[in-house]
Order: sequence, then structure tokens, then C-alpha cells
Amino acid sequence: MKTIEQLRSSPWTAWLALLLIALIVPLVLGGYLITILTIVCIYAIACIGINLLFGYTGLLSVGHSAFLGIGAYAFGLIAIRFGLGFWPSFCASIIISGIAGFLIGIPALRLKGHYFVLVTLAFAVIINIIMMAWIELTGGAAGLAGAPRPDPIPLPWGDVIRFQSPLSMYYFILFFLVIIFVVSYRLINSLVGKTFIAIRDDENLTQSLGINTMSNKLVSFTISAIIAGIAGALFASYNTVISPDSASFMKGVEIVAYLIIGGAGTLAGPLVGPLIMIAIPEMLQMVPEIRQLLFGIILVLFIIFLPKGIAGEVSFLTSRIKSQPRNV
Amino acid sequence: MNTTSLEISNVSKYFGGLLAISEIDLTIRPGELVSIIGPNGSGKSTLFNVVTGIHRSSSGAIRFNGKDITHMKPYQVTRQGIGRTFQQTAIFRRASVLDNVIIGQLLHTRTAVWGAIFNTRSTRRKEAQTREKARQILSFVNLEDKDSQIAGNLTQEAQKRLSIAIALATEPTLLLLDEPTGGVNIREIDGLIELVEKVRKSGISICLIEHKMRMVMNISDRVIALCYGKKIAEGTPKEVASHEQVVKAYLGECNAAPGK
Amino acid sequence: MLGAYIAFYVVAFFNMSYWLSIVIAAIILGVLGLIIYRLIFYPMRNGPHANLFVAAIALLMILESAALLWFGGETKWLILPYSNDVIRFGGMSLGVQRLIIILATLMVMLGLELFIKKTTVGAALEATAQNREGAMLCGIKVTQIAAMAFAIGTALAGVAGVLIAPAVMILPSMGLGPLLVAFSAVIVGGMGSIRGAVVGAFILALVESLTSGYISATYSLVFVFAAMILMLLIRPSGLFGKEL
Repeated sequence: MKTIEQLRSSPWTAWLALLLIALIVPLVLGGYLITILTIVCIYAIACIGINLLFGYTGLLSVGHSAFLGIGAYAFGLIAIRFGLGFWPSFCASIIISGIAGFLIGIPALRLKGHYFVLVTLAFAVIINIIMMAWIELTGGAAGLAGAPRPDPIPLPWGDVIRFQSPLSMYYFILFFLVIIFVVSYRLINSLVGKTFIAIRDDENLTQSLGINTMSNKLVSFTISAIIAGIAGALFASYNTVISPDSASFMKGVEIVAYLIIGGAGTLAGPLVGPLIMIAIPEMLQMVPEIRQLLFGIILVLFIIFLPKGIAGEVSFLTSRIKSQPRNV
Repeated sequence: MNTTSLEISNVSKYFGGLLAISEIDLTIRPGELVSIIGPNGSGKSTLFNVVTGIHRSSSGAIRFNGKDITHMKPYQVTRQGIGRTFQQTAIFRRASVLDNVIIGQLLHTRTAVWGAIFNTRSTRRKEAQTREKARQILSFVNLEDKDSQIAGNLTQEAQKRLSIAIALATEPTLLLLDEPTGGVNIREIDGLIELVEKVRKSGISICLIEHKMRMVMNISDRVIALCYGKKIAEGTPKEVASHEQVVKAYLGECNAAPGK
Repeated sequence: MLGAYIAFYVVAFFNMSYWLSIVIAAIILGVLGLIIYRLIFYPMRNGPHANLFVAAIALLMILESAALLWFGGETKWLILPYSNDVIRFGGMSLGVQRLIIILATLMVMLGLELFIKKTTVGAALEATAQNREGAMLCGIKVTQIAAMAFAIGTALAGVAGVLIAPAVMILPSMGLGPLLVAFSAVIVGGMGSIRGAVVGAFILALVESLTSGYISATYSLVFVFAAMILMLLIRPSGLFGKEL
């Protein structure tokens, strides 16, 4: 049985406390906060995906908006055009995102450095154009309406959870955030995660150690695409309307920016980034142009002076203080 | 019983107009320790790079255990059983010493993503085995007490040991060591020489690039001398050391220079 | 984008010559380029390359929103006395402005080539691009060269903005589309080659117009990017570029 002391110093305690806060605060405070936090959670999911790809495997993709869009549109189209329910459409969209990630990854990952980033950009713009232009399929700029909410869940005492209220959708999305967080945690701490980190830190050395870096990068890319697809599908369900600007190129950039500010390559980064960068401007009710301006300035300052991001710098400092090896 | 052998036949490598290595023939027999010497720029590291697939050979063939590895990618060459270290010590500086060796073993551990996510029993077992094996390798190279240190904080000599440990983790039957004592001070060289002999005694063939003659003379079965990319001498350490062309090469002249 | 705005204000506000605005834009943007280099890219020169990309994107956000706040979001139009004039020859008609753009491009290409190939500074630029450390050993002040290259780049972008201003809508967000096409042009033509950049641009323009006419106007950009992706896969160094 763990002592209070052990519980206090274990990292799990912090995460559980955070989860409790996330569960209870919206219940108590309610209102606009729920909307903000829901959006934060969706972005956090996407950021975890990018964290796996960029923070841990070292591949910068500014084009993951493509997968947000593919996830959203696949979900919407299957649900609306084919009339399937929430869960079949959701699962199908996950599979489709994975396939798309795999197919795009194969050519894209043959390129290194700047060229890879550019290609991800190109793919994002291409997909965005298709979303706008292929009107018969996607409804063009107007998009699709009528994406379903999750099916009602019957409770043992006869009542039913309907996912119509903002609070219920918040918990639903939070649930997925927790799952994906745990998945990424497991991946990062496993041998697979160590492979990714090795590729990030020195790809040539990793290759010379007998590891097929291309297939590993592809795995990382596909997983991050799947995660982004999930975020897209969840957003579609939440919004019930799917439009091309939910998958614009700038969204892909935002995800990367939030991650960097939060701390790429850390577990907390993808959570801290969106929280700070979305919640605070919303609460201050900033005008969009000012928000973008400040966003750009903050991003530049971070990338020059604090490239490890908030969580990264904190972790760096605390390990310096304890002078212990960092778990990265 | 180590039966592996490396046969390099007539291998040349051009970089644009520059002929880095020219018509090299070299065989390394099982259990041997062959040293390659030569002035800077004579193509020694390039030869390693061509063997391990980092550079494509312009002509010639390389066979390892009878298998043609001439056009294999680096990770495939390593999987055949050829390990290597680099002149500029290549280790994962940000990771712990133990993690470095664990990464070295990754080519032999087949953990799927599924197993990683669900933390299955077989995954946990494999991870424990990998960790245990890593510790064994670290104690083989005498670094077991530093397993949790950050690799980048080690001394130069310890880093060289670590790079050898990482290469050993890939379970090679032939180890290519590129200047394992580079930048190490004289007092510490003996320790590294001992390590190399220890590796050799464990049954692994070794091909060594070295400048330090004492090391080369004492431990090599055979020595090859290169100059301007061409092989100018081959034989026992004594034979090569007294070979007229080798002496000249180290003093600055070389009859294998291009154009002569 | 900024170049276009400068042209607009020079002509409409200050009532000066359009041609003068080319010079003014080049100067203002060159200086801006130096400032940006010194403040942002110079401190980051030793970090990971990916971060530079992110910094550039951040810059894009800053400039665009600053322009939005400063100039307002309404579309502006730059009308010049000859804006509606058209030159006809051989059965085709060509807008005067477009002709000016083509001529100006050729002049810039020539000018840059001469600069790089014939002047000492140009040679220093090439040397730095090929081997930074080697250049440093030769006594070349690498940071100054880098700053200068950056400034030339921004100045040229400004001039491009001035040239295109009479032909398109002037908006803060007008920069992104041409930027992506410009990147594609450099990749197709080859990084490190002026000739390549221009050739790449012409090829892509052809791709865009042909697919626009024969296949579909809305998808024409897709083909442009597809061309870039194809080039990246077949020959990443582009048509005229240096071997990677």
C-alpha cells in the first residue's frame, strides 16, 4: 500500500488530479467555459498526434489539417450520405484517416528536412482545394450539415444519456482525449517510442543500427494521421456542420504552434499549449486580428528563446535542479 | 564458431570526379583482426561507408558470408551481421547510457505498436529482456556503473566504449571500428586495446582503422595500408611496417597518387 | 503583400509615380528584411531547421494581422492610367501590366545572374551557399552575406508585390497563394539557381493556365502542387538545382 509520501511524488497523482479538475470544474462553472474547454480538448487531441510525429520522431508536418479534414468529411459523408449511425461512421473515418496517412506518408517521407515540410504543406492545400471544389461530394464552401451526435447511452436506472447538451459532448470528447493520451504515453515509453526518439536524435546512426527508419517513420506518420482524423471527426460531431475552413491550412499551423508553445516532446505539451493559447484569448475576448498578431509574436518569441516550450523548459529546469537524467 | 567472412572485390568509389577508393581487394576471414592504416584522406572511412551501404560503390562487389551485399541499404547491412563505429563518436547524446544500448538492440526486438499500446505481457517481457541484455553489454565494456548517466556527459574514452557497446548490441559477427582511440589520451588507450581484444576473443571478427601504430602492431593479424585510395601493402604487421612504400606514404610521398 | 500596399499608398495617397513605388518598395522591404533577419533568423541560426520554418510561419501571421489592423480589411484596387489598355498582336491580346511584369521579370533575372556571376559579393554569396565553413575560412563575413541575401529576397518580394498590384485585389491575405506557388516554382526549377526559379515559375504558370483551360479552373492549383510533389519525388534538386 503506497504511503501518502509516495503518492505525492508520483507523477500519476498530478495527472489524476488534473483529470479530476477537468471533470468537475465545467460541471460547477458551466456556460461558456464548457465550449472553450471542448475546443481545447479537440485541439489537444490533434496536438498529441503532432507531438508523436514532431516531438518524438522529429518530423515537422504543417499539413495535418489534411487529416483533420479527411477525418471530418469521411465521418460526415458516411453518416449523412450513407445514413450509417454514429459509431460505424466514426470507426470508418478512423480507418480512412489511417489509409490516407499511409498513402500520403509513403511519398512524403522519402524527403528530408525542409522538403518534407513543404510537401506536407502542399498536400494540405491540395486537400483543402478538393474540399472546396468537389461540390457534389463535399458541398463545397457551404459544407455538409447534419453530422450525428453519438447515440444515446441507456443507463441502468432507466434514464438515458443524450449527447445534445454541451456538457455531455464535453465529457465525450474528454473521454477520447484521455484514451489518446494514455495511448501516446504507452507508445512513447515503449521500445517503439525509443525507436522514434532515436530517429529524431540521429537518423543516420539509427539506420546504421539496423533499424528501417523509413517504415518506422511511416508508422509514426500514420498514427499521427489517425489521431488527427479522430480530432476532425469529433469536431464534426460536435459542430454537426462540416465546412472546409475547419480544415484550412492555418489550422494545421495552429496545431503545430500550440504544441511548440506547450512543449514538443513532452507529455504535458499538447495539453498546455492549446489550453493557454485558446482559453486565454477567448476569456479576454480578443478581436481575431489582434489574437493572430499576438499569436504570431508569442510564437516567434517562443521559438527563439524558449524552443522547448512551456512544459519542456519546466521539465528541463526541474531536472537541472535535481541533476538527474531527464526522461525524454 | 565464427564462419563469417567479408570479401571486398575490386571496389572503387567516385565522388564526382574524385576517386576516393580504387580497385580495393580485401578479405577478412573468420575470427581475424585486420587493421587498415594510411595517411588522412586515403579512403579508409570511405571504404567502411561503402561496405556498410552509406555510399554506393561505383564498381566492384562486396560479399558477406557468400551473400552479395554490394547494394544493400545501411540497415540491411547491419542486419546481415556487420556492426560499426564512427570516427566522430556516434552516440545518442541526449539519452541515458542504458537507453543507448537498448536502442542498439532494437533491430532484434520485434515489438509491434499494438503490443506497445496495450502493454501486453509479451511486450513487457521483451522490454525486460532488452534491459537485462543491455546491462550485460555495459558490464562487458565496463560501463555498468554509469548506466543511468546521460551519454553526452561521459568522457571521450567512455563515449568510445559506449559506441562499441551500441555496435555490439546489434549482435554482429564482424565489427568495423573506425579509429576507436581517436581523441583519447595515451594513458587510456590500453583500456580500449584490451576491450578490442576482448571483443575479438568473444568470437567477433574485427576490422580496425587506426593511426596509433602501437595498437596496430600489437593486436593485428594482418595489416592493409592504403594511400590515395589504393592498397599499397598487405601482410603481417611487421611486413607492412617495414614496407618501403608505406614508410614513404607516411612521410608524405606516395607512388599511388593519381596521375603517377 | 506589403509591396502591393506600398505601391497603393505611393500612388493613391502620395500621388507619386508608379515606377517610383518600385524603388521605394525595394528599399523599405530590403530594410525590413535586414531587421527581420537580425531579430529572428540570426539568433536561430544554430538551432534545428524545423524551427526556422515555424518562425517563418509565425512571421507570416504577424505581418498579415498587422496589415489587417493597419490597412483595414477592405479590398483595395490600384488603378493606373493604362490599367485598361491592352496590346494586341497576332490575334492575342495582352494586358499592358502583364507585359510589364514579364519584362520586369526578365530584367530582374538578368540583373541577379549578373550580380551573382560577375561581382565579388555575388561570388561570396555562392561560396557561402555551397560551403558555409569554407567561406568563413576564406574571410567571408558569412552573417553579413546571409543578411544581404535575406534582404534581397524580401526586396524582390516587395517589387513583385508592386508589379502585381495593378492586376489583382489588394488584401492582407493576398500573399499566401503566390507564396505557395513561388515555393513550388523554386522547387521545380531548382534551389540555388536563379534561372531555375524563373523557368520553374513559367512552367508552373503554363501548368496552371493549361489545366485551367482544358481541365478545370478550380483545380488548377492542385495540378501546380502535384507538379511540385512529382518533382520532389523524381528529382528533389529540381531542374537546374544543385545536387543535394
